[in-house]
Parts: sequence; C-alpha cells; structure tokens
Amino acid sequence: MDPNASSIPATARAATATVKLRLTRVTKVFESGGQRVEALQPIDLEVSEGEFVVLFGPSGCGKSTLLNMIAGFEEPTSGEITLEGQPVTEPGSDRLMLFQEHALFPWLRVIDNVTYGLRWEPGYRFRPRRRREKAMELLRLVHLEEFAKSPVHELSGGMKQRVALARALAPDPKVLLVDEPFPALDALVRAKLYTELQDILVRTRKTIVSVTHDPREAACLGDRVIVFTGRPGSIKAELTVELPRPRDINDPKVAECAGIIAKQLEEENNETIPGEKI
Amino acid sequence: MRPSPEKKYRGIVLVFYLALIALWQTLFSLQLIPDYLFPSPLQVARRLWELGSDGMLWPSMQATLLRMAVGFSIAAGIGLLTGLLMGMSRIVNRCLKSLFLGLQTLPTAAWAPISLLLFGLSERGIYFVIIMSSLAAVAIATSDGILQIPPLYLRAARTLGTPGYAMPLRVILPAALPGIVTGIKLGWTLGWHGAVSAELIKSSVGLGYLLYMGRELNDAAQVLGIMVLTILFGLLLDRFLFAQIEHRIRRRWGLLQAA
Ligand SMILES: Nc1ncnc2c1ncn2[C@@H]1O[C@H](COP(=O)(O)OP(=O)(O)OP(=O)(O)O)[C@@H](O)[C@H]1O
Ligand SMILES: [Mg+2]
Repeated sequence: MDPNASSIPATARAATATVKLRLTRVTKVFESGGQRVEALQPIDLEVSEGEFVVLFGPSGCGKSTLLNMIAGFEEPTSGEITLEGQPVTEPGSDRLMLFQEHALFPWLRVIDNVTYGLRWEPGYRFRPRRRREKAMELLRLVHLEEFAKSPVHELSGGMKQRVALARALAPDPKVLLVDEPFPALDALVRAKLYTELQDILVRTRKTIVSVTHDPREAACLGDRVIVFTGRPGSIKAELTVELPRPRDINDPKVAECAGIIAKQLEEENNETIPGEKI
Repeated sequence: MRPSPEKKYRGIVLVFYLALIALWQTLFSLQLIPDYLFPSPLQVARRLWELGSDGMLWPSMQATLLRMAVGFSIAAGIGLLTGLLMGMSRIVNRCLKSLFLGLQTLPTAAWAPISLLLFGLSERGIYFVIIMSSLAAVAIATSDGILQIPPLYLRAARTLGTPGYAMPLRVILPAALPGIVTGIKLGWTLGWHGAVSAELIKSSVGLGYLLYMGRELNDAAQVLGIMVLTILFGLLLDRFLFAQIEHRIRRRWGLLQAA
C-alpha cells in the first residue's frame, strides 16, 4: 500500500473521541402492496464528535434509506438510533439534512431562508435581530453576504447550494446529514464547493454523515469511508482517510485514495476477491 | 435595440381591435337591423359618455366593485380556509371536493333566485351570490395547490425543526401559492359574473342594474355600452392585476423557464 494514500483499516481509529451518533443493529424492510424489499441488513455504526463519515456504495444499497432513518423521516424496522444517547423519533434540527437539491424556500429571500430554522431554536425565539446577525455571519462564511436580500431564483445553482449549507448550519445541528451533495453542478463549481465545504468544516468542527457513490468525493471529504455491499446493504469495509485537509478533489493523492475505495466495490461486484482490508 | 416580441404583437392586436370596430360599423351602415336595435360603435360610446356625465356610471361601477371587494374577500377567506383543510385531510378532501365540483357546474346566475328568496332585495343577497359563485374555485385550487407541493419543501421544513402548528402559515400556504393565485383569479372572474347577474335582478345601482335599465328602456346602446364596459373592466383586472401577480409568483417559485 502506498503510504501517501494513508488509508488504514478502521480498527486503528482512536477510540477516545465521544460518540455522537450510534446505530445499533439497524435494519430496514420496505413492504408495499405485498412486495417486500429488504433494503438494509443489520448496521452497526458509531460516529464521533467532529468526524466526517462518508457512506459509499452501489446504487440501491440503502444509503439514502439509512440517512433518512437518522434524520427521522423513516423508522427503522428493527434496531435503534441514538443521538447523544437519546433515541431518534422524528425529524428535527439537531440532525439536519442537506438535500441533493437545494430545497430553499422560494417565497423567502436568501437571508430569510437562512434565519428560517432559527425561529424555533432556544436563544433565538422572538429575537429577530439575533437571528439576522447569525444569518449574516453564515452568509459571510459562504461568501454570499451581498446577496442577503436577493430572491432565491436570482442565484446560480452553486450559490443556492451554498445558501442551503448556510441555512443548514444556522440551527447548529449536532449532526449534519448530506445526501449526495452538489450532483447537478459542473466539475469546476463542484471542486470549489468541496474546498469551501471543507474549509467551513474545519472552522465549525461539525459532525457529518454524507452519502455518495463517487469515490473521489468520498476520498476528498471523508475522515472515514463506510463501504456498503449491494442490496440488501450491509457494511463491507471501513476505511480511514488520513490525507491532510483541505484536500483538492483533483489532487493525485485523493485520486489514488479514491482508487482504493472504488476497488472495494469492484471486489464486491465480481465477488472474486474476498477481503475487507487494503 | 430589438423590439421585444411582446411589443411587436401589441401593434397587431391594436389593428385587430380597430378592424373589429370597423366591421361593427360596416354592419351598422348596411342597415340590416334597425338602428334602435343595433347601434353603431359611435352611438354606444356617446351613450356611455352621457351616462358618465349624468353621474350614473361612476356610482354604479363603484357599487359593483365595492360589492366584489367585500363579497370576494369573504369568499377568498372561507375558500382558503376550507382549501387548507381539504389539502391537509384526505377525508375532508373526499367529502368537500365532490360537493364543490358539483357547485361549480351551476351557472353563477342560478344563485340569484335562491338569494332573492333568502335575503329579499338586500345587499346581503348580492354578497351571497358573489360568495357562492367564487368560493368553490378558490377552495379547490387551494387544496390542489397544497396536494401538489413538492415533498422536498415539506421535508426541508421538518428537518429545519418546524413545529406542526407553524406548518400551515410558514410552509404549506406559501408553497401552495402558485395554485392559490390561479384559484383567486378564477374565483374573481366567477364572482364578477355572479355580481353582475345578481344586480340584474335585485338592485338599484351597479353595472348589472344599468344593463337591466337599458333593457327596460329599450336602449340597446346602453345595454351594449355597459356590456363592453363590463368586459373591459374584467379584462383590465385579469390582464393587468391577476396575470401579473401570477406571472411573478410562478417565476419566483421557479415554475417558469427563465427568459
Ligand atoms: N419507500 C420505499 N418503498 C419501497 N422500497 C424502497 C423505498 N425506498 C427505497 N426503497 C428500496 O430500498 C433500496 C435502497 O434504496 P436507497 O434509496 O436507500 O438506495 P441508495 O443507496 O440511496 O441508492 P442511490 O445511490 O441510487 O441513491 C432500493 O432498492 C429501493 O428500491
Ligand atoms: Mg440515494
């Protein structure tokens, strides 16, 4: 193994950090109209404070399903999900989800979108001035402060995603859930957004669970990459990416690391080479 | 600078209307129908002018508009509320939707006789006709608008911590606004029909009343004049008020391709 790629088995991970999110034997079976789809086999996963975990796997393996269950949009068929020891029951801003599409509210201006979630947060209730200040701070973070008063439809796709990120960070979620970020954007904008996202993460020390089926994206963003098997999904391998941040998605080291991650899938696809480690 | 296509068409449309008036004038000049039954454009315009300077026109227009303002506000309020309930509860939707669809098949003028029986010749009777004419359109459009809300908005609202009690005002109604505006536009038109129909039967002022008077006096110029005026009024509000609002909202909600 190339030491520069620095992918090491997950077992070597420091076990001292506090666990934010814990999934214990979580499964999901969809039943609709007599049809039974087993989406996820028992999943055990722990996410530590400040960690960026990427769920990586083939299409249909249940990555979005897992994220939806953490967010509280769906209930696990069995097993338990806890956040700081409290079981997850419904959607809430402590496990905020950032969607594939920006999902900004078109009836609100940029700044009002960012303040939206703060309305019900302790410390911000009935304090519009404080909400506005916080929102401006976040808009500065994503370099969009001069667009605060613009209607959403006047922004470009990349700008909208950045506003969505600011909106998601506003209520200071304990865990940020990201489902396939920025898929609809061109490579240049994406690369820029990745740098920006990492920069923000380093500064805010957010705990993040993100989903992707792009190995480069996984290598670029993740502290740890969880590789899933095809449906019904189960965890096939865990890889720790120890490249220094910020990482450039076009960096050869990232590409190399992405190769190692992608290999995990290939091995699974033709089912010839067994093995959990690289 | 290239003229916008909108501007180019404006000239053509103007020519079309001038041609229409010329056709009317030609038919008149052929004298196929006696002129007291079929007046010329000029006679109609003159009659409108007379009505105006006699102080008949303005109070009537005011009266009809005021009735619409009051009656339609009530209808829109009730329509929005029932539409919201229909949009949020499947049972309410099943029950009320068929009822409202049924009511919508009724011509608006058909509300006038029952209103006469219920309210006599009072102003309330006209409000009743306006409300019954427009209510269903607003309610149905609101509930349809709500059912067509992209689920993504609702999921985003929930993950951002929106409590249930805040959903209707903060998310559901604004997200359904494009549908609601379409319903308001249609409801206003139907209410306008209802108002003029009711005034025909039971009032002493208003555009409908002037139509009725024109018929009583065998004054074809007045009848045609008021008809033209009513059309112009409706068109003006539709094109320059509701259509503009609708367009803006649809653009803002990303429902139109950017030009
Ligand atoms: N509501 C549902 N009802 C029935 N089956 C479902 C439902 N949602 C997901 N599934 C099934 O569960 C499996 C996992 O779906 P999921 O969307 O989680 O996959 P994914 O890993 O996110 O895939 P992709 O990478 O394509 O987004 C799929 O086979 C899908 O058909
Ligand atoms: Mg998915």
